[in-house]
Amino acid sequence: MINNSVVFFVASFFIICFSILSLFLKNIIYSLLCAIIVFFSTSIIFYNLGSEYNAIIQAAIYGFAVPIIIGISIMFTTKKIYNKKESFISFLTIFFSSLFIMAFVYIIMISNAMIPNTFNVANIQQFSSYDVLLEFAKGIFINYVWAFELLSLLLTVVIAGLTLFNKKERHYKSKIGNEKLKINHKEAEIV
Amino acid sequence: MSDTDFVTMYHYLFLGLILFLIGIIGSIVSKNVIKVLISIEFMLTGININFITFASYCDNYKFDGYIMALFYVGLGAAELAVALYIFYLMFQKKESDCMEDYSN
Amino acid sequence: MQNIILDNLSLILLLPLWIFLIIMIGRFFSIYVNKKVIYLVTLLSSFLGICTTAFSIANIEDTIVWLYPFIKINNFVLQFGLQVDKLSLIVAFALFVISFSVQLFSISYMKNEKKNYRFFAYLNLFNFSMAFLIFSPNLFQFYVFWELVGIVSYLLIGFDYKNIIKSDASKRVFLINRIGDVALLTGIIVTSYYMFTYANKTFATLSFEDFNAISTFLMAYTSTPVFYIICGTFITAAMVKSAQFPFYTWLQDAMEAKLPVSALLHSATMVIAGVYLIIRMMPFFTITPVLMNIIITIGILTALVCSILASIETNFKKILAYSTSANLGLMFLAIGTEQVKAALILLIAHAFIKSGLFISLPKEKKCSKINFIFFIFGAICLSGILFAGIAPKEIIFANINNFALSLLFMFVSFMTGFYIIRLGILIYKNSEIIKDCNVVELLSFIILFCGNILIYSMFRQTYTLAEPYAAAIGGIAFALLLGKKNVIEKINQTPKFLEKFYNNLVPRVYDKISLWLSFIDNKILSNYKLILFISKLPIKIVDWIEINIMNKYVSFVSNISKDLSRHDMLLQNGNVQTYNAYAFIIVSVIIALMIIGYLVILR
Repeated sequence: MINNSVVFFVASFFIICFSILSLFLKNIIYSLLCAIIVFFSTSIIFYNLGSEYNAIIQAAIYGFAVPIIIGISIMFTTKKIYNKKESFISFLTIFFSSLFIMAFVYIIMISNAMIPNTFNVANIQQFSSYDVLLEFAKGIFINYVWAFELLSLLLTVVIAGLTLFNKKERHYKSKIGNEKLKINHKEAEIV
Repeated sequence: MSDTDFVTMYHYLFLGLILFLIGIIGSIVSKNVIKVLISIEFMLTGININFITFASYCDNYKFDGYIMALFYVGLGAAELAVALYIFYLMFQKKESDCMEDYSN
Repeated sequence: MQNIILDNLSLILLLPLWIFLIIMIGRFFSIYVNKKVIYLVTLLSSFLGICTTAFSIANIEDTIVWLYPFIKINNFVLQFGLQVDKLSLIVAFALFVISFSVQLFSISYMKNEKKNYRFFAYLNLFNFSMAFLIFSPNLFQFYVFWELVGIVSYLLIGFDYKNIIKSDASKRVFLINRIGDVALLTGIIVTSYYMFTYANKTFATLSFEDFNAISTFLMAYTSTPVFYIICGTFITAAMVKSAQFPFYTWLQDAMEAKLPVSALLHSATMVIAGVYLIIRMMPFFTITPVLMNIIITIGILTALVCSILASIETNFKKILAYSTSANLGLMFLAIGTEQVKAALILLIAHAFIKSGLFISLPKEKKCSKINFIFFIFGAICLSGILFAGIAPKEIIFANINNFALSLLFMFVSFMTGFYIIRLGILIYKNSEIIKDCNVVELLSFIILFCGNILIYSMFRQTYTLAEPYAAAIGGIAFALLLGKKNVIEKINQTPKFLEKFYNNLVPRVYDKISLWLSFIDNKILSNYKLILFISKLPIKIVDWIEINIMNKYVSFVSNISKDLSRHDMLLQNGNVQTYNAYAFIIVSVIIALMIIGYLVILR
C-alpha cells in the first residue's frame, strides 16, 4: 500500500470537481470527457490503496472501453442541447442529499466502534504486490470460480440477447407481411 | 499503518460517499439519458472505492473486496450495454434523448 | 354403534340448516345450486333423520341430555342443547317421515313453479326448527324455535307474495300467532323471575327435567291466582299454536298456502307444538284439577264447534283445517283426562292420516283413481274405524268418567265420520276422476300409509268398546244417505262470526286508543308552550349537532382527501426519475430517523 497523501488529495480533488462538472456541463461530449478524467483518477486512487490489478482494470474498462461505447452512441443519436426548467423535485433531492450525507458521515464516524477487534488497524502487515496478485488469482480461479463464470455467462447472454432482439423483430415482420416481402424480392431481382 | 500517516481510512470512505451521492443526484436531476448512465457509473465507482478501502485496510489475508470490485466492473459494463441498447430503441421511436419524453 | 349414531344426532339435526343456508346465502352471492342437487340433498337430510331417530328409539333407555352454555350472566347460565328421550324421539320420527314424504310429493307438485328453490329452502328451515323445538331441553330454547316455526309458517304461506290475498292471509296468521308468542314469553319470564328470586337461584333456566320441582316451588311461593295466571299464559300459548276455539281462524287463513305446506305444517307437525308444550309441562297442570278441567273444556268445545263448522263448509282444504282443529281439541281432551299416551298416539296417527288426506286432494279439479281410494281409506282411518285411528279413541273413551262428556265425545266422533265422508262425496261430484297417476306422489302416499300401519302395530288395541265406532259408522251412513238424495250440495253458507270479530276488533280498538291519545296531544300539550319547547329541544340539539359538527367534519374529511388526490396526481407524472427521487428521499429520511431514534432511545 503506497498511501501517499499528496496523490490522494490531488486525485480526490480531480474526482469531485470533474464529476460535478460532468453533471452540469450542457454539451454532452464535454461531460463525457470529464467522466473519463474521473474514472482515471479513481484508478489512481486504487493504485494508491495498493491494488494495481483493480487500477488497471478500472483504467482499461472505465477509462477506455465504456467512454468509447458511449461516445459512439452519442454520435448515432444526438446533436441537440436541451434547455428545460429545473423541476421542484431536483431541489428537493439536493436538500435531502444533505440529510443523507450527514447520516452517512455519522455512520462512518461511529463505525470505529462497530468494527470488530480482528480489524484492528494497528496489526496491519505490509504486503508486497506479488502477494496481493497471488491472492487475487486464488480468489478468481479457486474461491470465486463459479461467480466469475456466472459473470462471463451474463456478458455472453447480454450479447446474444441483444443480437436476438433484432433478429426476432425481423422474423415477426416477415411473418406479417410475407406477400409484400416476396414482391420486394421480385422487384429486387428485376432491378 | 502508523499514527504519523495523514490520510486515514475515513478519507477514502468519505470520497466514496461523495462520489456515490453525486451519482444519485445526477441520475435524478439530469435530463439527458446518457448523463444518467454516466452518473450510474459514478455510483458504481463510489461503491468500488468503498470495497477496495475496506479490503486493503481491514482484510489481512484474503482480499475478497478486490474481487468484488472486479465483479462490479463487469456488472456495470453489462448493464451499460443493455441500457444503451434500450436507449437506441427508444431513440428510434421517440426521436429524442430527453428523459421526460420517454414517460408517455 | 348406537353411541355413534346418538352422538351424531345433533349433526344430523343441523343438516337442514346448512342446506337452507347454502341455498339462500349462495343465491345472495350468486352461487346457483342445481335443482336436482337441492332435491336430492333435502330428501337425503330427512331420510337420515328418519334412520337416526328410528335407530335411537330402538336403543334408548334413559333420557340423554347434551348441553352447551349459550349465554352467561353471573350465575345465570342459559343452556343450548338437546334432550333426547322416547317422547321427543317418537315425535321427531313422525316429523321426519312426514317431511320426507311431503318433500317427495312437492318435487312433483312444485315442478313448474318459479323460484321453487326458495320453497325447498324454507322446508329445510322448518325441518331444522321443528326438530330443535322437539329436542329442546329448556323453555328458553323452546321459545326461540317456537318463534322460528311461526316465521317459517309465515314465509311459506306468503310464498306467492305478489298475490295480495295470500300475503294478507300470511300477515293475519302471523299476527294471531303473536298472541300465543307473547303469552309464552310472559309465562317464561315470570316463572324464571320467581325461580331466580325466591327459589335460591335454582331452576331459573327452566329445563324440562326439573319441572316437577319447579311446579311445586311455584305453587309454594306464589298465591293461587298468580299461579293460575302463569299457567293460563302457557295454556293460551298452546291454544293459539294448536288452533283451539277462539283462535282457530288462523288455520283457515293458513289454507291459502300450497298443498304441501298444508300437508306438512298446518295439519301434521307445526300445529302439534302447542300440544307438545302441554305434554312437556304436565307437572304444572296436574297439580290442581281446575286447570285440567279448563283444558278439557277447551278441547271439547273446539271439537264440537269445529266439527259442526266442518260439516257446513264447502272448501275442501278448509274442511280439513276444521277437522285438524277438532282433532287437536280431542288431544287436549285426552291430556285433560290425564291420558298423555293416548294424546301422543292420537297426535302421531292424526299427523300421518291428515297429511295423507291433504296430499290426496284433487289438483285443478282432477283427481286420479288411486288418489281417491287413498282419500277414502284415510277418511275411514280418521273417523276411527281402521288402523291408526282405533287406539286413541279406544283409550280416551274408556277413561272418560263423566256421562255428558262421553255423550259429547260420541257426538264428535259421529260428526267426524259425517264430515269426512261428506268431503269425499263433494270431491267425487265436483271433480272428474282420471285414471293415470303420478309415480312420485304414489310413493309419498305409500310412505305415509306405511307410517300409519306402523303406528297401528306399535299401539295395538282390540275393539272392546262399541259406542264410538257405532257413532262413526252412523255418521258415515248418514253422510252417504244425504249424498244419495243430493242434499249435501245445498249447504253452502258458512258462518264466519269469529273472522268478522277479529277483523273488526283490531282496527276499532286501535282507532279508539289513538283517538284518546290524540286528546292528550290536542287538549293538554298544545296549551303549554314550555312543554312543547322542552319536548322539541333534544331534536333541535341533535339538528344543530348534525349541521354544525357532523356535516362539517364529513366535508372536511372529503375536502382533504380531494386536495390530497389532486396533489398526488401532480406528483405521479410517470417519469422514472421522479420515483427514483422519492425513493432516495424516503431512504434518507428513514436512515436519519433510525439514527435519531438510536440516539434518543438507546442513550
